[in-house]
Amino acid sequence: MKRGIHLWLLAPGLLLLAMLMGGPVALLALESLKPFIPGSMRPGEGWTLAHYRELLQPAYLVYFWETFRIGLIVSTLSLLLGAPLAFAAVRSPRAAVRKGLLALLVGLLVMSLIARLYAIEMAWGSLGPLAPLGALLGFAPRHPRYAEVLVGIGLLHFTLPVVALMLVGTFRALSPRLEEAAASLGATRSDAVVSILLPLAAPGLVSAFLVALAMCISNFVAPLVLGRGVVVFTTSLMYTRFADIGNYPSGAAIGITMLILAFLVVYGLSALARRLVPR
Amino acid sequence: MARIIASPAVNRRALLGGLAGMAGAGPVFAQPRGEQLLVVMWGAQWIEVCRPIGEEWMRATGDRIQWELHAGGAMAVVGRLRPLWPRVPQNLIAAWDPVFAAMMEAGWMEPVSETEMPALREIPDAFFKKDAQGRKMTVPLSTAGAFWGYRTDLVTGPPIESIEQLLEPRFRGKLCVPVPVNLSGLLLVSLAMQRGGNERNIEPGWQFLKQLAERGQIGRVVANNSEMINAMSAGDLSVAFWNTGGWQAVRDRFPCRLLTRLPDNKGFLFNEGFAVMKGENANRVAAAKRFANHFATAPINTRYNMPLGSGPTNINSTPAPAIADIFYKPDELERFAYIPDYAYMSSQVDAWTRRWETEITPLVRRG
Amino acid sequence: MKVALDLAARTLARLAVLAAVLFLLVPLLVACLLSFDDRSFLGAFPPQQFSLRWYRAFASNPTYLDGLLISLQLGLVAALIATTLGTLGALALMDPRLAGRDALEAVFLSPKFVPTVVIGFSLLVFTARLGIFDPFTRLVMGHVVITLPFTLRAVLASLIGVKRSQIEAAISLGASEARALWDVAVPAARSGIVAGAAMAFVLSFDEVAVSLFLSDAFTQTLPIALVAEMRANLNLTIAAVSTVFLAATLLLLLLLDRTIGIERLAGDVGARG
Repeated sequence: MKRGIHLWLLAPGLLLLAMLMGGPVALLALESLKPFIPGSMRPGEGWTLAHYRELLQPAYLVYFWETFRIGLIVSTLSLLLGAPLAFAAVRSPRAAVRKGLLALLVGLLVMSLIARLYAIEMAWGSLGPLAPLGALLGFAPRHPRYAEVLVGIGLLHFTLPVVALMLVGTFRALSPRLEEAAASLGATRSDAVVSILLPLAAPGLVSAFLVALAMCISNFVAPLVLGRGVVVFTTSLMYTRFADIGNYPSGAAIGITMLILAFLVVYGLSALARRLVPR
Repeated sequence: MARIIASPAVNRRALLGGLAGMAGAGPVFAQPRGEQLLVVMWGAQWIEVCRPIGEEWMRATGDRIQWELHAGGAMAVVGRLRPLWPRVPQNLIAAWDPVFAAMMEAGWMEPVSETEMPALREIPDAFFKKDAQGRKMTVPLSTAGAFWGYRTDLVTGPPIESIEQLLEPRFRGKLCVPVPVNLSGLLLVSLAMQRGGNERNIEPGWQFLKQLAERGQIGRVVANNSEMINAMSAGDLSVAFWNTGGWQAVRDRFPCRLLTRLPDNKGFLFNEGFAVMKGENANRVAAAKRFANHFATAPINTRYNMPLGSGPTNINSTPAPAIADIFYKPDELERFAYIPDYAYMSSQVDAWTRRWETEITPLVRRG
Repeated sequence: MKVALDLAARTLARLAVLAAVLFLLVPLLVACLLSFDDRSFLGAFPPQQFSLRWYRAFASNPTYLDGLLISLQLGLVAALIATTLGTLGALALMDPRLAGRDALEAVFLSPKFVPTVVIGFSLLVFTARLGIFDPFTRLVMGHVVITLPFTLRAVLASLIGVKRSQIEAAISLGASEARALWDVAVPAARSGIVAGAAMAFVLSFDEVAVSLFLSDAFTQTLPIALVAEMRANLNLTIAAVSTVFLAATLLLLLLLDRTIGIERLAGDVGARG
């Protein structure tokens, strides 16, 4: 009887995921094993692992590594900036500050990412007024690797509001009395935050980090708009295969590899976090 | 359900189409019902010159023209349409030689004839792509080219007379080049020819390209017209390899020199135009042919090519003054221009792209 | 010493907040300024002459307005479906005794970690095989998949406070299991449902990679219209678009603050993690 209702409640969602994600991804996995015939519109006969083998070349491993490296840096930064931001938005004694910060975060969520990325190109690009600031990160604005800085900035602009809002939820769930209690025991405010609040918020911090990482590695517009053709994410490689040269089997192989890696990293990291920070 | 929900936007467009029809007044008013055509065009100046031509056509005929923009190179449309074929809504696709070859191989294109499209009589036979039975398959609108060139206001020192000079330190980080998908790899062919190769002997091109990338000469890799135009307008890049249309937009703003007469290398010529797509709706295909024919007529052909810096194909059209650069006399044609095997190139783009990803991008990134 | 350290830590935190705010705001302000640039290309900052040419270009291009309409419709439909399915799923997953609960939750959340390019392309091929060519249907399919994890998570988060015992109590009073859930859990989940729906709408409204594959020229979302315009016509129309976006967002926020209250709204949206 009870089992019955659970089944009915879960069935629509699971069915939808099976149909619209499971089915297509399985089809894609099959496609990735087909040979590609250059210049032809049809896949070849038989089966092959060549598209996966190709990805083991050092150059392609570098693309995977670059995607994850930039993703990890940006997720870390968004946690470092997002936590104080969220904390201020929840605990600032001034209502105007709280409201202003929340309005900014919600506002950014509503604003189109494309428009924001374009704004970043104008502000931080090699002609932008902020370019000298960006150059402090080690690459002159005209250097090809400055594109990495640009893509990182774009991704951070994308993840930071999301991370901060998630942490607003986390911090709000924690009672301010905890810090007051710590203070009454003689701890300074920053002490109280570090020793009491942060451990309690750890699961929220971990999940915000993972969401940010997932957002970065599957993002595709930031490298497209800001990458100058030099910063190539695996998503961009995939897109080129699918859309520009019509090599579906190879694009499918990259997609499947990326999917497996993303799951391994995200679930691996969350398992690790669960071990380090017991709930 | 989805259709019902989606309909307001469609109705709005229909309404606009109707209004446009009425604005024309006169006899036009008598035929408000026309075909809806989906035409794929390049962005930048291409779409800017086409939109008013399309609006006039809508007023005159009652047909409705919806423009779709190529995202990146024209080849991308082939990749995007493949899974959908034959259920594709596009009626006309602006494309050029390699893309024509790919679409012809797929059997997507409708043959064109002078009886249906009288303006084709005024276009020399040599410009058409033909199928195995010798039927004309394309509507050639322009003769365009791809060349090296540079902004003379930014390049100091001796002028560029050979692309070997691009290895000099003064061009470090100054080169703007297309990805191999774009222009179907003409950049590589150009570099290969500099070192004694061609499209079928491409290896020397890779070696030259690697040298350029290793020395940090390549500052920017672009994937479409607007990226090239913007990159070359910004002022941090001074040399590029690109098509005449992109160059024309840069030349409108800054002094440029196109290297169309290099003593030790050649420029490339190709045809751009429309492919008429096969379709189930015969009336719509006929309307698409009428619209393409309109572009082939001398006055529209002149107007279309003017801002693109390309040569008109209709013998009665007037070429733009700007194309003097690529207007070769017959004896020059042999010396300075080259028409590679575009069909062969389009079959190599996949392999070239991977090689670019594995060998060139890592070098370019190092700067 | 301890006090000095505390002061230093707090100053550092304040600086971080300030840096974050500036980082988020400055590009938007630069874009606003550039949207009035009279030059026909992206030139050096600051602009020398100002005009409204990019706003005129924006207004005279119907693609954006059509895209906006499609995006709004798509966001609403996708949010409605995803919220319904997510709420149902969450009501089942809230039961701690459900066998394989963690695995089921992971399945529901999995689309979050599938690269959207993969979802978009595989759905394109899949729907073509099934003979589904209507772009709006395809778009709804893709957008429901990517928004479902967020609605489920938001509803689950709001259900944390609901004790199983409360539902048991309702059942012992004679309600059916479904009735008990409807009377006890659903009201408690209201804020999560609203937040999930809002998040789903926002995500769908801003989606690019999935829509890029599933749109066509007649049914194009606003972000796709923007991408197409940007790739084909990189000019300052986009700056004008972002400024209009910014103004509309500010207006919306003012309105929201007057009606729901910005703090409550942000709390609900933030709970979706």
